Amino acid sequence: MPEDSEKEVGETKEQRTKTYGSDPSNQESPSKQGSEAILRMADMDPNLKYELSKIPGAEKLLLCLQCGTCTGDCPVSSRVPEFSPRTIAKMAALGMKDALFTGDLLWLCAQCYTCYEECPEDVKPSEIISALRKMAVKEGHIHPAYKSQMELIGTLGRLYDVSEIQNEMRAELGLPPVPDSGVNEVKKIMKRTGLDKLTQIDLSKEG
Amino acid sequence: MKYALFLGCTTPVRLAGYEASTRKLAETVGVELVDMQGAGCCGTPSMESIDHKTALAVAARNICIAEEMGMDIVTLCNGCYEVLSKANDFLKQDADAREGVNKILAEVNHQFKGTVKVKHLVKMLIEDVGLENLQKLVKKPFDGLRVAVHTGCHLIRPSDVLKFDDPIRPELMEKLVEITGAQAVPYPDKTECCGSPTLAVRENVAPQIALAKVQRVKRYADIMVTSCPFCYLMYEMSQLTAEENPNVPVVHLPQLLGLAMGLSQDDLAMGENRIDPSRIMDFQTK
Repeated sequence: MPEDSEKEVGETKEQRTKTYGSDPSNQESPSKQGSEAILRMADMDPNLKYELSKIPGAEKLLLCLQCGTCTGDCPVSSRVPEFSPRTIAKMAALGMKDALFTGDLLWLCAQCYTCYEECPEDVKPSEIISALRKMAVKEGHIHPAYKSQMELIGTLGRLYDVSEIQNEMRAELGLPPVPDSGVNEVKKIMKRTGLDKLTQIDLSKEG
Repeated sequence: MKYALFLGCTTPVRLAGYEASTRKLAETVGVELVDMQGAGCCGTPSMESIDHKTALAVAARNICIAEEMGMDIVTLCNGCYEVLSKANDFLKQDADAREGVNKILAEVNHQFKGTVKVKHLVKMLIEDVGLENLQKLVKKPFDGLRVAVHTGCHLIRPSDVLKFDDPIRPELMEKLVEITGAQAVPYPDKTECCGSPTLAVRENVAPQIALAKVQRVKRYADIMVTSCPFCYLMYEMSQLTAEENPNVPVVHLPQLLGLAMGLSQDDLAMGENRIDPSRIMDFQTK
């Protein structure tokens, strides 16, 4: 009897797990995950929404109506379908921590604040994404491009190294050499706040 | 009027033409810009999404340098403006945050006191110099030049923090452009982001966003005007790397204002622009 009823619903629990449960390809696209895969409560972190709501800016997460104004106006969503502020807010409310924290999803936000201004419930989707990034970073998931940005700022005091050639080109336009960046002070600040350990960057090299 | 000039990272290294034209324009309108020795990166808008405390301290250190100079800050970059302005207002209002940041800053011999303002070039020109005074300096106005103004994001958003212009229908930078006699034309999705922050994450996305805007602009305007080094680079580079280059000149705001005030293309380092902007001269009346 139990075997028959399993067959009636089409696939066994084992088959389901085999097809969707541990296949990493299903983790790549949240929209695909939403429509085709089965979300299991056991994989969710019900505390994510509470922790997230404590971070300044993300307090109104649970007021999201899923209206989609944010995604409709998002310059990234229209080119990258898997990036959707609406879906990210839903994933956060559901506690889909792994799908949110791994990969580049959170880091695709351009932080243009269009959704921040347009959201009818003042949920501030861009701030929710920013808060999620902070949580991801604390768990060791920082996007490599942002990690190297932090390392550049910590070792050069700015995003670029200034060469003699650049100062010569500036001189031709009547510009003074690029001022000192105060890198030693920046480095001390980052060590004091622990940004180097948080983002696993090496501040020992000289700029 | 005297200001501490916050150069940021990208302008002095990659867009010396923006810096040179800003300095020339400042001279022309009677504003003294003083270099900030020891000021570095503002922290970037993304540092706030990595660690709040560090972002606040890095921004505050730069503000302290201006406080020590006794001058308000002028930034050339929308990103720097958002970061420094946000940190400045937050630290002025929140005594606990100020105390926390000052403990960190004590190690590098700075103290945030909350004595200066942070302005973007556009904000400084409009609020401190004034449109009427600027208008009086126009000697060679444009006639019939259609300009697509790109205000960018971090000059106007988040609006509850920055409190400058309307976040969805901005008009102040357009008013500034129109003192030159040029027409700031409406075009679709005018406030759309240039896409620049996504460049480091997926390099093909930002050029798509930027190029689509330039292609829309081409139907309505002769040139595009920006007031941010990141937006400028996106609109210029996305055209130069496109299969078919739309060839819409991108011009820094101080270059356009400077030309109208009688400065030469050389004064304004217009040879640095990678899409030849000289066709603008055809629209000058005198």
